[in-house]
Amino acid sequence: MAVTRESLLAFLSKRTRADLTKVDDTAALFSSGVVDSFELASLMVWLEKQTGARINPSDITVDNLDSIARILAYASSR
Amino acid sequence: MTVAEGKPGIVVLGSPRSGTTLLRRLLDAHPSIACPPETYLLSAAARFLHADQFAAGLRIGVVDGLAFAGFEEAEVLGRLRSMTFGFLRDYAERAGKPRWAEKTAFDAFHLAGIRRLCEGHVKFVCIQRHGLDVVASLRDLVDKTGGYVEELHAYVRRYPEPLEAMARAWIDTATAIAELAESSEHAISLRYEDLSADPQAQMQRVFEFLDEPWDDELVGRALAGTGQVGFGDWKTYARASVDRSSVDRWKALPAPVQDKLARICNPTLERLGYERIDVDEEADDPETARRRYEFGLMFNRMKGSQE
Repeated sequence: MAVTRESLLAFLSKRTRADLTKVDDTAALFSSGVVDSFELASLMVWLEKQTGARINPSDITVDNLDSIARILAYASSR
Repeated sequence: MTVAEGKPGIVVLGSPRSGTTLLRRLLDAHPSIACPPETYLLSAAARFLHADQFAAGLRIGVVDGLAFAGFEEAEVLGRLRSMTFGFLRDYAERAGKPRWAEKTAFDAFHLAGIRRLCEGHVKFVCIQRHGLDVVASLRDLVDKTGGYVEELHAYVRRYPEPLEAMARAWIDTATAIAELAESSEHAISLRYEDLSADPQAQMQRVFEFLDEPWDDELVGRALAGTGQVGFGDWKTYARASVDRSSVDRWKALPAPVQDKLARICNPTLERLGYERIDVDEEADDPETARRRYEFGLMFNRMKGSQE
């Protein structure tokens, strides 16, 4: 199943109970504290379920995960 | 009311960490009302009245013990009331005010005894707060004090997860207070969220219920004064205005904790007029939970490598 911007925002908004609709796609989520490590772990589990692909430990980097745009790019590469 | 002399005393009731200290300061700012810092008088009186009841129906406690000695329950309650209220009357007199109010946060755990002692002789001002905010604030209290007050021991023994124990304690106390507010014409109920949003309007309502005149300067006066030092929520003394910074604190709790607490608290939240919290109905299976844990460890490693 493809990860869309809408499904990703819906997941993150539900987990953080924050309105992320106005967050820029390139805004830092993890390093800025909008998304904490607990929620990021949930995001990883969700990504694995959505893409059906197991995430390699070496893929868990700020480069891959720190914004909506980066997460979408990473998900589409799976 | 059976109080012959002047207006009846006032008892503030709320689950601990529900804004009872703020309410105390606001009541105490009234020129006719003296509300000391927490005295623990009423919970002590409730403990005095405690009785154990066994299968044969025999109650073993002071009221029944004294009954065998020829003292009727009404007399025992009257003497206890006289002593308890006497301290509060004297306090008000020393403050030069005609009416006393009493607030001790953990009284909420002793409501049955307090009702037995006070009902018909006082007016109750009840305050409710969102249960998950109460839990978040109770956690802070436990962190600061380093331990649990006796009233929480039974909950902590029964529920090994501290936040669940606090949520269960909130449900019991908030429900008992709601039952009082719903059943007694001598009780008024307000919500912390409404009080912090519009203290003027809420306190106007409270003073009307208490049959006391309102003055527009009261809220400012309450918060400008440092108040008498004593037991109570220390944070309120650092604030010179009522703000809403303590509302919705629960949203900062980790999502799985929110989900768990919401499942426990939702029925009571709805009963008290709060919005039901959406929960993730898909409970994690053990494999998913383990995978989440693995990711948590990987993130820590990633963070460590960045530092």
